[in-house]
Parts: sequence; structure tokens; C-alpha cells
Amino acid sequence: MTGPPIDLEVRELRLTAGGGATARSLFTGLGFHVRSGERWVVIGPNGSGKSSLLAALAGVFPIGAGVVRVDGLPLPEWRPSALADRRAWSPQFWSDPFPATVTESAALARQRSSPWRVAASDRLDDAEVDVVLDRLDLRRFADADVRSLSGGERQRVAIATALLQGAPLLLLDEPASHLDPAHQRLLLDVLVAHSRAGGAVVVSLHDLNLAWDLASHCVLLDGRGGASAGTREQLMDADRLAALFGVRIEAIELRGSRRFVTGARAPSTDA
Amino acid sequence: MKAGGALIVAAGAAVAACALGVLAGSTGLAAASAEIFWQIRVPRVLAGFGTGAALAVSGALMQLLTRNALADPYVLGVAGGASVGALGTMLVAAATGTPLSEWGIALGAAAGAFLAATLLFALMGRRLAAPASAAQGDASTSLLLVGIMIGSGCSAVVSLILTLASDGQLRGMVFWLLGDLNGATQWQIVWLALGVALVLVWPTARQLDWLSRGDAWAATLGVPVARRRIVAIVAAAIATGAAVATAGAIGFVGLVVPHALRLLGVRSAPLLLPASALGGGAFVVLVDAAARTVVAPLQLPVGVLAAAVGVPAFIAMLLHRPRGQRSP
Repeated sequence: MTGPPIDLEVRELRLTAGGGATARSLFTGLGFHVRSGERWVVIGPNGSGKSSLLAALAGVFPIGAGVVRVDGLPLPEWRPSALADRRAWSPQFWSDPFPATVTESAALARQRSSPWRVAASDRLDDAEVDVVLDRLDLRRFADADVRSLSGGERQRVAIATALLQGAPLLLLDEPASHLDPAHQRLLLDVLVAHSRAGGAVVVSLHDLNLAWDLASHCVLLDGRGGASAGTREQLMDADRLAALFGVRIEAIELRGSRRFVTGARAPSTDA
Repeated sequence: MKAGGALIVAAGAAVAACALGVLAGSTGLAAASAEIFWQIRVPRVLAGFGTGAALAVSGALMQLLTRNALADPYVLGVAGGASVGALGTMLVAAATGTPLSEWGIALGAAAGAFLAATLLFALMGRRLAAPASAAQGDASTSLLLVGIMIGSGCSAVVSLILTLASDGQLRGMVFWLLGDLNGATQWQIVWLALGVALVLVWPTARQLDWLSRGDAWAATLGVPVARRRIVAIVAAAIATGAAVATAGAIGFVGLVVPHALRLLGVRSAPLLLPASALGGGAFVVLVDAAARTVVAPLQLPVGVLAAAVGVPAFIAMLLHRPRGQRSP
């Protein structure tokens, strides 16, 4: 991680999915402010715009209205290569068309300014790659082909790639997908450590309990055009989440932590 | 094998192949008279090397751009256009009784390649120039399909030309289609094209690796996605057009050389592109040396022998790999 504290500001953001006649508004008027040390979780039903929001924050999704500022500067005014030093984006899906080891894939975004740093296997001086692979329990796969990995293992490689980009702001799209409970907790520890070291994270998650444990703040997208942002305590209560997803949700306090128990689908209210 | 080591091996193979290529003749391995050596063998080896290098570089580029290990220089349809141009020139020349030189055929091929590339850009230009966005799918699949469609259209025209051609012309045309270095003495064009292609893509080759992992992701790393993609296609089209104009449609090299190098551990584009040039050049020179000596004085089309040697070698390579590596 490099540079001064990170600052991400979103104002009056409106995103639209699709184009032409099939375009539909995802949400309007979303605003929030992410600072170093914070961990934001984006929560919402399928298709509510979580991935689009993360991509828009990364600068690779067209913004319908509003502005996204990183360190005070609107995204379009950033030099793209300088922005890469400030934020790393990890998409939900990766393309692995050719053979590549886990080490090579994790180190892909390293030393971006140097065209001569060519092959990860020749990069023996880059000790940080080994540290991150160790941290994500990937050391024993270091020389395996990424395409031979399981979904959860590939997911950890993606997280390693994002961490190794060296940016303070991590924008991760469903980083917990395919992870078993132990590796979900490992992810949580890694992201908490990242924020404590002065970084910030914005991730989308579907597991409400993991979200509660990770989040300092959250963004709720309801899939019907509504969006709200605030602290975890302000927004993550059972009634609000139940309305968001249309299922029965109860919150219980268990050993000092809030747990969400989901039940049957709630009777449809808008029919 | 370390990637750097593989590059050195490829360079050594290239030097050895060229040495063998200029020494091998129809009378066995021997130094020929100065005239044969300088007037025939050296230009032929240079033409062969440049052709193989251009095809392999173009193949590596197309595989990276389309994220498809099955892509080759011909998926753009540029080579198909070159074939139509070359055969069309032969047909027209015969019909009008115009004498036709090697240069005339090469010029026809180059014109055909240029027209096919122009058509490709006319059809795909807007999609290729669109900024990378997570909002829409990327252009690689449509690029692949449009290129293949142009190629299929060209094959149909080639078949038409073959049915219209007289029996006397047919043999020359078929040899040309199979890929033939016989009489290929204009090595300068393909070397120039190869040089232009490498200058266009190599300094930013690392960004091609990022592009192969996803357009939007590459864009977040600061890659000017549309420009990088278009420049790479232009480079591939120039290299392919020149190679086909020089030696006809030699198959196999562009598909397999980058692939084989990846299996040997050369993965990153900044190494893969020069290694493909060396490996592709060495491969064609060696195969051509065999093609004109094995059944001398008969000369086999180099494209036929390339596939005959390359297919079993490549299958063996695919099947006998170290454990722990799955699927190519």
C-alpha cells in the first residue's frame, strides 16, 4: 500500500443498466463518503446494481448522473495509471484463457510502470508476493495453473491480485463467493487488517452475518431504484433487511454480535 | 523451464535453423557455390524466417486479443483476403494474357489482405473503439466471429476462382494456397512488416496480458483499451498480410508456435512475442529445409510438411506434460 490516506466521495449518483430501449434505472441519488480505515459493504438483491456500483467507483461503468471523487478529484480527471495506484478493482468473473501459475496471476498488477518486469517466475526479488500468497493460504498452489483451481481457490487468487496491486482502496465484487466458512473468516481478517493499516474497502456481500462482522458502514440497494448509505448500526437491522430482500429476517444478539436468521419468503407486498 | 531460458533456447534454435537452412541443398549438406548460396538459399531462408516469425507473432497477438488459444493469424480473415487477391491476380493475368511475376502475385495478395482488414474495421470499428466498460460484454467474441465470417466468405471466392481456373493454372494456385516458399525471394517486405508489427506492440506488450484477463480490469490498471486493441489488430493484419503475400497461406505455425512456447513456460506477452518470432521463424526455416531436401529434387509445399511434422509433435507435447498442469 502506498501514498496518503484514501478518500472516496460519491454524490447524487445515478446508474442505469443496459442501453437503448432496455435501459432501466438501478438507483438514483446515492451519496456516501469512504475514508481510510473504513469498511463498506454493499448489500442488495440480485440485479440491484451492486456490481455496477463497484465498477462505477472503479471508473469502468458509465455514470448516469452525479460524481465520484477519489482524493477530491473526479474520476474522469484522473490519469488512469495514477488511479491504479489509489484503487484496485476485482471483478466477479475472471478470464483465464492461457496457462498461468498462481504466482503469475497474483503478481499480474505488480510493478505496472515497468514494461520490463515480464515474468513472475523471474521476479525473485518480490517478497511481498510470497507474503500475500501465504496470508491467503495459497502458498502450496504457488506453481499450480490457475485453471486447475477450485472456485474458492481462484477467488483467493483474485483477492491476492487486488491486494498486490498496492492500492489503498479495494473495490471487491463478491470476494466471499465460493469461499468456505474458514476462508470467509480469513478474508474478513485480511480486509480488516488492510483497513487498519490505513486502507479502505468497499465490497459486495450476500452473507449478512459476514457483512455485519466486516462492515463499519454499508450501502443498501433495494433493486427498485432506492439506495441508502450509513453506518452498520444505522442500516443493518432486521426489518430493513427483510424489506430489502423480501424474506423474513430476525436479528439475535449472540455473544456480543448480531446474527441474522433468515426464514421463509415474506408475502409479496406489491402484488 | 524459466521463461528467460526459453527465450535463449528459441534464439539458439533460430540461429541453428538458419545455419542449417543455408547449408541444406538438394545435393545434401554442403556449401553451395557462392551464386546459389547468395542468390537462392540466403533469400529463401530469410523469406522463410520472416514468414514464420510474422505468422507466429500475429497468431500470438490474435490469441491474446480474442482470449482464445485456438485463434490464429487467419481468424481475422486477412489471410483469406490475401488468398483471394493472389489467386484473383493469377486468374486475371491468365485471362488477359499478361505475364505475371512473383511481385505481381505478392502485390495482389497484399491488396486483398488490405481490403479484408479494411472490411473488418468497417464492421467492427465502432465496437473496438468503445471504451472498456463492465456494463457490456467485450468485443473479442464478435471480433472472432466477424473475422471468421470474412475468412469464410473469402474461402468461397477462392473455391470459385479454383473452379474457373484452367487446369494449367490450378497447380500453381493450389501450391500457393498450401504455402510455398519455392521462388519466394522477396524477403524484405515480410521483414519490414514484422519489424513494424513488433515496434507497434512490443513496448506495451505487458498491457496485452492484462487485456487477456478482462477489458474492464485492464482499464482499471490504466490500459487505453480501445487503442491497444486496435493497434494490435493492425500489427497482426500487417504481419499476416505480408507473410501470406510472401509465401502463401502456410498454416499451423501461427496457431501452434505461441501455444508450444506457453507450454514451455513463456507466458508473459513481452517474452511471448519475441519468442514467437524466433520460434516461428526457426520452425518454418527447418521445415522448408526438409521440404526441399527430403525427396529432392522434388520440392514439397512447406505448409504441408509443417502440418505433417507439427501435428504429431504438438499432440505429443500436449499429452506429455509434467503433472500438476491441467488443460492447455
